[in-house]
Amino acid sequence: MTLRRPASFLIPFILCLALGPLAAADLTFDRYHKPEELAAAVQDLARANPGFVKVHILAKSPGGRELVLLEVGPETAKTAKSLPAVFIAANMEGTVPISGEAALYLAKLICEKADLRSDRTWYILPCGNPDAASGYFDKPQRRDARNAAPRNDDQDDQIDEDGPDDLDGDGLITQMRVKDPEGAWIAVPGEPRLMKKADGSKGEKGVWKLYPEGLDNDGDGQINEDGPGGVNIGTSFPHLFNYHAPNSGPWPGSEAETFALLKFFDVHREVGLTFVFGEANFCLNPPRSSRKGDADLNQIKVPENMAGFINADPNRTYTIAEIMDMVRPLVPPGMEVTEGLVAGFLGLGAAVNPLDDDLKFYKELSDKYKEFLKAGKLDGKRLDPAPDKDGSLELYAYYHLGLPSFALDFWTLPEVKEEKAADEITPEKLEKMTNDEFIALGEEKIDAFLKASGAPEQFKAKQVIEGLKGGMMDTKKMAEMMKQMPKKPSEEGADPKEKALLAWSDKELGGKGFVAWKPFKHSTLGDVEIGGAVPFTDNTPPAKMVDALLKGQVPWALEIAKKMARIKIADVVVQRLGAGVYEVKVWIENTGDLPYPTAMGRRDERILPVIVTLSGQGFEIVQGKKRSLVPAVPARGSQLVTWIVRAAKPVKLEVKAETQVAWGDSRTVDLGGAK
Amino acid sequence: MKKLACFALLIMLAAGTLPAQKSEITVPLRFDQYYSLDQIFEALRALNKAYPQLTTLETVGKSEEGRPIMALTVNNPKTGSALDKPGMYVDGNMHGNEIQGGDISLYLVDYMLGNYGKNPEMTSLVDKTCFYVVPVVNVDGRFHFMTDANSPDSNRSLRIPVDDDKDGLIDEDPPDDLDGDGNICTMRKKDPFGQFKTDPEDPRLMVRVKPGEKGEWTMLGEEGIDNDGDGQINEDGPGYVDPNRNWGFDWAPSYVQGGSGEYPFSGVGLKALAEWTMTKTNIAFAWSFHNNGGMILRGPSRKGLGEYPPQDVAVYDYLGKQGERIIPGYRYLISWKDLYTTYGDSGEWITQTMGAYFYCAEVFQGESEAFKGVSERPEPGTSREEAVRGIFSEGVSDRERIKFSDNVVQGELYKPWKPFKHPDYGDIEIGGWVKLSSRLGAPFMIKDLVHRNAMAVLFSAKNLPDVALEVTDVKALGGNLFRIRTRLANPKAMPSMSYLAQKVNLYPKDMLKVGGAGAKVVAGGLLLDPYRDQVVYKKYRPELQFLVVPGFGKVEHQFLVEGKGDVTLRYESRHGGKLTKTVKLE
Repeated sequence: MTLRRPASFLIPFILCLALGPLAAADLTFDRYHKPEELAAAVQDLARANPGFVKVHILAKSPGGRELVLLEVGPETAKTAKSLPAVFIAANMEGTVPISGEAALYLAKLICEKADLRSDRTWYILPCGNPDAASGYFDKPQRRDARNAAPRNDDQDDQIDEDGPDDLDGDGLITQMRVKDPEGAWIAVPGEPRLMKKADGSKGEKGVWKLYPEGLDNDGDGQINEDGPGGVNIGTSFPHLFNYHAPNSGPWPGSEAETFALLKFFDVHREVGLTFVFGEANFCLNPPRSSRKGDADLNQIKVPENMAGFINADPNRTYTIAEIMDMVRPLVPPGMEVTEGLVAGFLGLGAAVNPLDDDLKFYKELSDKYKEFLKAGKLDGKRLDPAPDKDGSLELYAYYHLGLPSFALDFWTLPEVKEEKAADEITPEKLEKMTNDEFIALGEEKIDAFLKASGAPEQFKAKQVIEGLKGGMMDTKKMAEMMKQMPKKPSEEGADPKEKALLAWSDKELGGKGFVAWKPFKHSTLGDVEIGGAVPFTDNTPPAKMVDALLKGQVPWALEIAKKMARIKIADVVVQRLGAGVYEVKVWIENTGDLPYPTAMGRRDERILPVIVTLSGQGFEIVQGKKRSLVPAVPARGSQLVTWIVRAAKPVKLEVKAETQVAWGDSRTVDLGGAK
Repeated sequence: MKKLACFALLIMLAAGTLPAQKSEITVPLRFDQYYSLDQIFEALRALNKAYPQLTTLETVGKSEEGRPIMALTVNNPKTGSALDKPGMYVDGNMHGNEIQGGDISLYLVDYMLGNYGKNPEMTSLVDKTCFYVVPVVNVDGRFHFMTDANSPDSNRSLRIPVDDDKDGLIDEDPPDDLDGDGNICTMRKKDPFGQFKTDPEDPRLMVRVKPGEKGEWTMLGEEGIDNDGDGQINEDGPGYVDPNRNWGFDWAPSYVQGGSGEYPFSGVGLKALAEWTMTKTNIAFAWSFHNNGGMILRGPSRKGLGEYPPQDVAVYDYLGKQGERIIPGYRYLISWKDLYTTYGDSGEWITQTMGAYFYCAEVFQGESEAFKGVSERPEPGTSREEAVRGIFSEGVSDRERIKFSDNVVQGELYKPWKPFKHPDYGDIEIGGWVKLSSRLGAPFMIKDLVHRNAMAVLFSAKNLPDVALEVTDVKALGGNLFRIRTRLANPKAMPSMSYLAQKVNLYPKDMLKVGGAGAKVVAGGLLLDPYRDQVVYKKYRPELQFLVVPGFGKVEHQFLVEGKGDVTLRYESRHGGKLTKTVKLE
């Protein structure tokens, strides 16, 4: 049996039955919304707020679900935008239900508060991978980041023919364990519900084989090797795309969901800041900077076969600037030598680590985010968010679009507190104690110590104290005995994530986060046990927690949005040089806390310079350009543009500073006049 | 220069409204001039009309400017449907100015079908093989290259507007045909401080001054003015998105490599073409024709991708070295190593995404326009280093070429210098090599070029896998048990699946399915040695075997079948065709 999903043409009908109209105020966050419900909620927001909300259908997934984008702002009626935009995508992997709720929560906030949307456009995609996202609501629940594109995972004669099967009918796909002489797994000694790989060097011998819950549907000897699903949209973008990987698809953009977004960013050059709500978090930890790539632009070796062309020494390293200097005299007149040209010529490849200047703002904002969480009492120790993934939208937005890109997650399991007390008595400590010091601990502590070190039940503190006093025993001998005793079974070797899950399940879910192992008669494996972690327990908090989590964390996106680069004209100074000739100095400043653009944006030259123009009648530019290009303005910094102009009579000039992603400014300047 | 551009536009519009000229293109085609885009389409229609049973003409997609990208499929339906035969894909003119590929594609079809039924080699090849031919990939590029004023190097791009100079204005400062002669030539200005002087051997040419020598000319680059008044000339022409850097495999953004476009397959025509070819799952080999230099290039296109599997390299080496002999002077080379690194090119896409073998041919050698008769290229068999040096050396000097122009094509290739009043530079001169020079051989040489390149394609087409299925033994083992032995043999160079495709698990391997109404396969597997009865039995589903038939080789299987009556053996392969055999158990 393979999983069945409702035929895609039925979805609109199912929706009509399931949903009544929904106004923004009705939106509550006490349950998880299906992708179709998120889409409907977005449509409702648009219907309720026609003045400033608009819905775009970007694409249709292979499963027949629409990719619905919400636009909120003052320019919804315009195709060409004059204001910058913030783009928020959620649940690109489709396996993180809370991220979609967060996007919807943000949409609601922005619709409710006019000041949040007065000077920019918000694009919100509450579900970037609707096919996969529906898996959370399926019966059995399906945690699989792939969309519904068919794929022949095992490259046999059938497609999607051997997916998971809910054998015990509990609505969950968990695990199967089967005793097997070749098994590599054993139960964790201190926590027999968890499994760990047997460690031969410690004398452990494997007992169990582990499988995902399911049958060998196609009789090829493998279980669940070709389930439904094709491409993980969350890792299908061009930066560090994994070619030939099982969940990648043939190329970055092969899926309608991805391609629509690539196109969207190309057309919507006003997008100046992006968020991806999911499992990674660039607000807590800057994007990973430990990748190994081909390109270190400060230490380039020129390959031998090319060194001759540019007269370089193949045995030493150069900076990219040095190589550009070497190339410049060799190119035909008029041809511009850029980093891209040189990098392409030498085959240097792409940047794979964030540039140092950008790490500065990521680190500063990360410190601020931690304070923000502390103030909201959401700074409890929790498991680390997932690391950023190759091919993700958040990396594409930073590396290819050159934008400040923030991933944000909203929940992971609380960290398990290590129960080891600081005053625990170890054999080493005991050895150094005198008998009297030990007796001074008192009966209660000694009892606890005996219990912890696995002493027999009848062995009580009283007896020990008497023994010590009577000289029948001393601390040295006791330490010796402790060392001889079999080790207390420990949870050592268990996956810390699984331990945290089990603790969470036991403490907060009444055990519902973990299915106890139960015997089952399997059609090909024989006697097996089915059990293990319940899917989604580790990344999806109970619905009752959602509202508070969103309230405390989602507004951080608004805080970062306030820090976007904003280009203004700080000052204009006109100096009369005589004979109707003037010097015009214009200071272009960035009043934001983020640079214009990011260092990466400068590298990939995708964000246009600030374009500064002089316009008016009755003047000519003597020195300087009609369109002066200011490639970068640091956060809270400024850049000077100077012209020398000539005007026979007093005139007014308009100075304009234009950008696509950081607003702009204009000023009128008097030349001449009364003086 | 806007006025001229407007004028040109008016003429183009007027031409567009004229009634279409009566077609003069008939089969067999003539190859004595370069075809315009419309003539290419006309020729395709003529071929389709002349060979309606053997050809299918279709539009696979539309370009940025809405022109059709056309493909001609050559297949004889009487010998099987297209997808059931090994497929050969040929395209050309991906870069707008590299037009020869269009003409080579047409010649290939014209030659094969013109000889079908006459030449037994061609008859057999056409009957066994399916050809997909896309003469012009960059239809906008060819149209504008042929129609507009250009230099030999301009108009390569897809017609996707790009703000090359990042000033907020798009494509606002292209080269301008200042003298209105249909060529973008070169501008020079008298300048005693210039870096060039008149060549003492030919007053039309210039040479660099040596230290201490007095200068005479400053070279001002391609014909054009500062259209946008930013102090630069010709810095933002149409595009640039390179149609051979915009493909989906190993694509990299433009800061890594100029011209790659905003995202993979941002070119709408390219995307349509790629999607169409992906449905042609039988394509086992592909040729793409570019210019120039005389190279038969194989991948990888980037060192970091790693060398191809040795068995694939053996196929490339075998065919490539024959190619060097079929097209004298051409060198078989490795793209990243001997030329340069590329990302997102069509070759790596076809190799890695479709699992086909691929050559990029850089057709035409400047040497063939030398005024000394004999090519000085090293003979085949010289070392790779020497060959590469040969490709990148000056090859033929301007002095040789201008004599060729003067004496072999009566001055057609070079425009004498003429004075011009330039709005920015004042008194200048315009002249030099014309559009149809440098990368494009003189028209009288077209036939030799298209023939030899088409023959190189045919040599590789003849080495597509040609699998035969043979039942070598049926033996009764007693009771109702029989032993069946099969052999799949391939006398050609190419295996039924490339080793790269196998390595990356690109698609299902070939299948051999055994079954019958009254028969059950009890065991089956790979027969390693028929004499010593060594078999690797497949435990699960033995009636279905996955395999690859190697080039110049065979693969054998053994099945133990229980039952009676007919047993069908069915071989299915993407590149090796589909075959069926039936045996009777009795």
